[in-house]
Amino acid sequence: MDFSLTEEQRAWQLKARKFAQEELRPISLQRDRIADPRETFDWEIIKKGSKLGFRTAALAKEWGGHGVDLVTQALVMTELAKGESAIAKTFSQCWKWTHLIEARCTPEQKERFLRPFAADDTYLLGHAGTEPSAGSDHRLPPDDDPKAGWKLKAERKGDEWILNGEKCFIANGSVAKLLFVGTRTNPNVSQKEGTTVFLVPTNTPGLKVGRVFNKSGWRLYQNAELIFENVRVPHANLVGEVNRGIYSRGTSHPFGDFELGANALGICDAAVEMAIRHVQTRWPDAKYFIDNQTIQLKLSEMRMLTEALRSFVIRVAGEGLRLAAEGEAKTGHYASFLQNFATDVVQRVTLLNMDIHGGAGVMTMDAAADKLVRDAVIWTHNVGDSVQRMRAIRQNMGL
Amino acid sequence: MYDLHLTAEQLEFRDTVRDFVEREIKPIALHPNRLEPFEKPLLLDILDKASRMGLRTLALSQELGGAGADNLTSCIVMEELAAGDVDIAATLAQTSTLARVLFDQAMTPEQRTRFLPQFLADDRYHLAFADEEPDPDLRWKYYRPTVVETDCRTTAVRQGNGDWVVNGVKAFVANAPIAKLIAVQVKIDPKTSGTGGVSTLLVSRDTPGLTVRDYKDIGRQAGPDGGPSLLWYHGTRGEVVFKDCRVPANYLLGKEGENALSGAAQSVQRGIPQFAAINIGIGRVAYEAAVDYAKLRVQGGRHIIEHQAIGTILADIAIKLEVARNTVWKAAWALDHPDAVARRSLSDLSLQTIAKVFTSEVLYEVALDAQECFGGMGVMRDMPLPKYVHDARIFLHSGESNSVAKFRIAEAVAGFR
Repeated sequence: MDFSLTEEQRAWQLKARKFAQEELRPISLQRDRIADPRETFDWEIIKKGSKLGFRTAALAKEWGGHGVDLVTQALVMTELAKGESAIAKTFSQCWKWTHLIEARCTPEQKERFLRPFAADDTYLLGHAGTEPSAGSDHRLPPDDDPKAGWKLKAERKGDEWILNGEKCFIANGSVAKLLFVGTRTNPNVSQKEGTTVFLVPTNTPGLKVGRVFNKSGWRLYQNAELIFENVRVPHANLVGEVNRGIYSRGTSHPFGDFELGANALGICDAAVEMAIRHVQTRWPDAKYFIDNQTIQLKLSEMRMLTEALRSFVIRVAGEGLRLAAEGEAKTGHYASFLQNFATDVVQRVTLLNMDIHGGAGVMTMDAAADKLVRDAVIWTHNVGDSVQRMRAIRQNMGL
Repeated sequence: MYDLHLTAEQLEFRDTVRDFVEREIKPIALHPNRLEPFEKPLLLDILDKASRMGLRTLALSQELGGAGADNLTSCIVMEELAAGDVDIAATLAQTSTLARVLFDQAMTPEQRTRFLPQFLADDRYHLAFADEEPDPDLRWKYYRPTVVETDCRTTAVRQGNGDWVVNGVKAFVANAPIAKLIAVQVKIDPKTSGTGGVSTLLVSRDTPGLTVRDYKDIGRQAGPDGGPSLLWYHGTRGEVVFKDCRVPANYLLGKEGENALSGAAQSVQRGIPQFAAINIGIGRVAYEAAVDYAKLRVQGGRHIIEHQAIGTILADIAIKLEVARNTVWKAAWALDHPDAVARRSLSDLSLQTIAKVFTSEVLYEVALDAQECFGGMGVMRDMPLPKYVHDARIFLHSGESNSVAKFRIAEAVAGFR
């Protein structure tokens, strides 16, 4: 196994590190404290990051992107997340769905959507899956219950589909220009057999943004409610086949296996850096630190878990890259556990950082240490932690 | 005998306060308009109502006009109050505990006559104890001799007529912004007093030369690393500044040079189980919310409470709540029955510290687990869950932090203290 980076991988990593330090870190805490969740989003940063290639990093060169490999994608995401995890996710959300367009869409659809995506610094992507009554059912639908799952209805009328219903907790929902929308096209069969996915530009008449959710962490990442009232979508925007919606995403794309792990790693790196700086500021005299075994043990655990997570992220991304070279878009059978491991590690590491900052009993808490803990808690909630664990083991056992 | 039959009076207290929380506190404290903003001003009107119910004077003896609640009863009441609003509970626990310590135990009859009638008559009369100073010793030392009383830099100098002139600053004083009487630890100049050492003075809020600054008004302070810091406590706290503040001679609490609240054993230790009970109140209300939601929410073809993944989480929470409450009640009972330790019925380790550490650690897990039952909804700030988690998180580092508390327990185990 070779863990050394190519010159190009190293160059992207350094570019992301510089952007994170100089542009993301300075605004991170400040925008986190904006009370109105609609106002935390920062278009200027998105444009700056886009011009540096972070928005289109994963898009193939032939479509106007940078086509960076999977390992580079992991490295860049970790560096960006170290500066501001939620902005890293805003960019990587675009990578996730450009991967899908490239893998599953027709040449005509690619031409129609990938060209404008590449050309416009404010063109963001998203996926509208979750509904008020379809949370876990969206990710782990029961086979035997047609009532469970998506209810947003799509009905065919000539060359068009008419969409009616509601989506909630949609990442980038209030800022994206194009969404993959999951719809119900057969209410009498299960989620697996009766759903269809469409590409829907957000300026389509009848599509409205409802509430923007006020989250406790990842506050710079927009998350919204979407309301569909007679939204007319051309049949040409169908992804894959009718009533095969759940399969349009494939069982997994290698990127999805390490995306949240690589992001969590960035938070862990930020926490370790903070904790070490705090210890050095508080006890410039090394003797005091050496005397304090409790602090040493906490720092040691933080480093240990962070390095273990780094190894796991790089292994999944590296194997994905090796298999991609062989023409296969997949990762190893163990890869889906990375996300759960990242959930555990990022929470433990950020809490230890908070302990080190508050370990002597304080009436104030470093605002950045608190923010990292709040961002980390999102990992338990963004795709449903136990649902993801059960999916991983079912997949692993071929069920 | 350690007896867990609650008395009729304790049950009545619990039911009355629970009803008050449901009717008066929750509709305001858990409204999205209050949950979503970062700043949550103290709910003074609710404090007034609680005072009229006798909760401000809960632990004050009945002879002096209070409810005479022992520590265990106070814990039962504080758990209920915290289920409504942690800041209300923390504020009342502080005043009620100090009322018992000051009026029943530490004051002279003359001092009591001076202060007690006003305290009883005024629903907004709260009490504070000012001991901490800015930049305190971090107490990170383990198994090393401690230098006693080095931390008291606030001085009191005796005048010709016996009055004291106080100068100095006390930091992070609980209840300071609303307190009308503050017990202040001062260092008396040995040259003028002949005895020296730390003593306690009673200072009225309106004494010239005393100013109180609410930390909420001071705003966000720079932390030790220079970055912005958040206020990390429950209830309300302020900085008390003394500038040539003249205090009458007879407002000295106890004897000169003999700290009436010495070692803070009387005041601080009494409060520990109550704050742990407040911590339990937060976990319990999060748990109740999770159970209600799990019975309502349908996913995977049935109510989520019928799924093992959720059922097991709720069982884990129930186990932690029960065990935590046992440790807290036992610690409170031990304070109510000091002879139980003397007769070797109970461990002579600090049961209060043990209860505090255990409770804060498991209750943080409880809050996170309850939050998880809500899926994506669990992290939305218009829901109470993020607040419960935040409140539980503060307990991990409140008062004596868990790391330091463990040092003290270990020192006791080793026979060092």
